[in-house]
Amino acid sequence: MSALITLDRVSFVYPGADRPALEEVSLRVAPAEVLLVTGETGAGTSTLLLVATGFAPRVVGGRLLGARDIAARRCTVVFSRPWTQLSGLCSTVRDEVAFGPASRGLPRETVRAAAARAMDALGVAHLAGRDPARLSGGELQRVVVAAALALEPDAIALDDPAAELDPAAADALYAALPGIAASGTAVLLATPDLDRAAPVASRAVVLERGRVVAEGAPGRVLDGTTVAVIARAAGCPPPLPLDVPALARRVAR
Amino acid sequence: MIGYVAGRSILHRAHPYTTLALAGAVLLGAFAMTRPLQVGLLVLGAAGFAALGGGATLRSSAKPALLLALPIWVLLFVLHGLLGPEPRVFFGPVRLSAAGIATALVLGGRVTAIVLAFLTALATTAPHRLVEAMTAGGQPFGRIFLLSSTLTVLPRMRERAALILEAQQCRGLRLGGSPLARLKALGPLALPLVLGALAEVDEQVLALDARGAGDRREGGEGGGGAARRTALDPPRDSTAQRVVRWALLVLVLAAYAWKFRSMRG
Repeated sequence: MSALITLDRVSFVYPGADRPALEEVSLRVAPAEVLLVTGETGAGTSTLLLVATGFAPRVVGGRLLGARDIAARRCTVVFSRPWTQLSGLCSTVRDEVAFGPASRGLPRETVRAAAARAMDALGVAHLAGRDPARLSGGELQRVVVAAALALEPDAIALDDPAAELDPAAADALYAALPGIAASGTAVLLATPDLDRAAPVASRAVVLERGRVVAEGAPGRVLDGTTVAVIARAAGCPPPLPLDVPALARRVAR
Repeated sequence: MIGYVAGRSILHRAHPYTTLALAGAVLLGAFAMTRPLQVGLLVLGAAGFAALGGGATLRSSAKPALLLALPIWVLLFVLHGLLGPEPRVFFGPVRLSAAGIATALVLGGRVTAIVLAFLTALATTAPHRLVEAMTAGGQPFGRIFLLSSTLTVLPRMRERAALILEAQQCRGLRLGGSPLARLKALGPLALPLVLGALAEVDEQVLALDARGAGDRREGGEGGGGAARRTALDPPRDSTAQRVVRWALLVLVLAAYAWKFRSMRG
């Protein structure tokens, strides 16, 4: 299958930074896959999403070295804080979700249909008439993801999308990701929440100080995390817990 | 409370351009008025405009308008009344310049009328309706966003300030006491308010870009130019409202023609 996004030994330096946030990263993103990008804080996961989707350096500035080929017709990105991603121009969820396709100047019926499909996919159709500014964090983040999906992108980057959500809302959001990928959209997911992300990811990339240190099937790549190693040594049966809260829950059971 | 107040008055239902045209007419008209009586009529006109928005609008625009205008009135009376030219008239024990008082009345009246008219427009123009009207009118996204952000910045900052205030009070910030102590308490409030807003700007820019704001047209004739946004629910405009807007323009032009004619005469 031809790649939507290809990075070949790509490095990226933010404006004013003295060392690259990404170094010699090579990566291929295929359609309909959920690619989990993980690593410690400051490893460069957010930067990798911005570079892969073309927003860096186009919007954020900086220098890109190496070869990048973005065959995806349209890429979009969702951040962890949903309230910073509202347009501020819409009084209903319906209009907020329709904001993207409306910006493309598509016919009104096409815009409405794209918004309706996206709201259905994220299970927020019942919120259509609500004011986005009055939603809970979990509802709002799903609306923001729906708004990004309404653009019908070839690739969507989610940067720690459940960071501000309660466990139930986070579960609901992650549960929607395989469906999004199944529709043909590549999902690039950066998060430290491995326990939720690993089961829905088709592939995982681990970054360390801006470099890719592991890549492959999530089960294989993430089995090497400290928590997984401890759990294995303690005799936990697979799937191994990947982070401390998950290990604690398993021990409590 | 400065900002949009939901309602069903004639101003709320009017096309946003009509409401803004009324406020604009007061603004331009104010500078065509040169005598206290004329400006007094303009203030009455602005009050009438506010009354059209209903009781809630009148309350939300009249009080802040008066509070904003009051210090200016005081300053104008002190400046022009005390330092204005002869002859002087007695106001109790104080001798004030008659011409200075007239000037203060004109200037203060202008400020009051303009502030009242614009606060009324702000209170009765739903930002999303203005956005839709401008979108339907083919305005570029940057201009729409700038105007809409201006209209909504006060309520958003107020909400954010309330959150910061609660957080700082939880951490021991005391707001009471002398004016100096209150002034000092502003620091822990203002700094996170401004810095927080600035910190989120980058993410907001990225988010808007990611959602196609200011997108280019895709292919076809004229590809590469800015795409014209689709208006999803543009507010209804009517012939009567268009006539009102043109009439306001004619009135303003007539007022200026009359002003310059009387200046030459």
